[in-house]
Amino acid sequence: MKRAIVFLSLIILAIAVNYTFASAASRVTVSINPPSVQANMGDKITYTGTITNHSDKAVDNVIAYISLANITQGKESPMDLEDWSANKAIKVDAIPPHGTYEGKWPMRLIDSGSYVAYIMVVDKHDNTPVSSTMSHLEIQRVLRLNPNNVLPIALGEPVLIGLVFLFITIKRRKADK
Amino acid sequence: MKSAYIMQKEIRESILTPKGFIWYILTSIILSVLSYLFLTNSELSLLDQGQMLYLIMNFITALGVLIGLVFGADAFAGEMERGTLEALLISPLNKMEIALGKLGAAVTNWGIIFVISLPYLFVVGKGGQNVLIGIVYLAVLGTLLAVIFSAFSMGLSARIKSMKNALITSFFLFLLAGSPIFLSTAIRGTWFGSILDFINPFADAINTFDSVVIDSQGFSYQAGRVAIICGYTLLSLWFLKRSLSKLEM
Repeated sequence: MKRAIVFLSLIILAIAVNYTFASAASRVTVSINPPSVQANMGDKITYTGTITNHSDKAVDNVIAYISLANITQGKESPMDLEDWSANKAIKVDAIPPHGTYEGKWPMRLIDSGSYVAYIMVVDKHDNTPVSSTMSHLEIQRVLRLNPNNVLPIALGEPVLIGLVFLFITIKRRKADK
Repeated sequence: MKSAYIMQKEIRESILTPKGFIWYILTSIILSVLSYLFLTNSELSLLDQGQMLYLIMNFITALGVLIGLVFGADAFAGEMERGTLEALLISPLNKMEIALGKLGAAVTNWGIIFVISLPYLFVVGKGGQNVLIGIVYLAVLGTLLAVIFSAFSMGLSARIKSMKNALITSFFLFLLAGSPIFLSTAIRGTWFGSILDFINPFADAINTFDSVVIDSQGFSYQAGRVAIICGYTLLSLWFLKRSLSKLEM
């Protein structure tokens, strides 16, 4: 029985050591700023990701990218950032020992709702990607009914051409008589 | 001057008629809907102002080319089917003068579409970049495209002598010219897509609009594409002249 307990304890210890080693093996951490944003549709915001190298060796060729997930009730889904952000992924050539790298992700807010943004860092020497905390993003809907005075043109021009059309038709009919 | 007489006759008979006018009312309704959507729809209204202007310019160009093709296909085959070609051919005008008069009417039609589109272009592009220069490019390249496609379709109309067949062939040509729109960005980026883009006058025009309105690039960037469009203009007029020599009752 004792042997079994010792054996099981050793296994648990080995797993714990392995887990600790794996955690410690992540040489980088990443943080996202601002931690929360409230804005309107159409606004432009910029997320800043700070990647910190905690090891004594330089970290090279890491990839950092931003992800956005819609958490609005009933619309939960990951977002395709093509329309939202110009540079989704950033390749960082090198971060010196105990140094940091700051990446910028400008984003145009396309649709209203509740979202979370987070930055992931992939280091090819690590088995586990590193993620930042989630930044909460609340986008308010903006309703514009007559931007650039489009309504007078959109309604007026077909009417105006219709009136010219009527004028020509009546003139032709009179000429035919 | 003789061509001007035919041009006036065509404008009176094809453009300043109730049926002809329907095109312009429809054009303005479509442009109204598009402009309103661009500026108010939650997703579309967030497009860059230059991007909106570019999309509207593409639409206007395509519409001008399409109506030019219909004009061209009707030019000789339509006259033949209505039984009026003989009277036209025995008039004191030679075939080229008749064709130039009809081509003038097709270009006038493009001019009317361009004038109708101006208020929409200004409203959609308001506050954006390169609006005026974009409109100048649209006027010049749109006119050249109207000549190219109308003259080519007119040449087909003289050769095929069937309006239906000339129209179908012209539409195939239009789809071929518009094919870059249907190709994915990845395919357009390959050598095959690049060559197809470069030798296609319609694609050259829309790429020029893109370069001028969105990328704010100067004339030196556009010179090659504009030269190709000018080359196609001459080629289409030569094709029309060759086709007219085969036109007889």
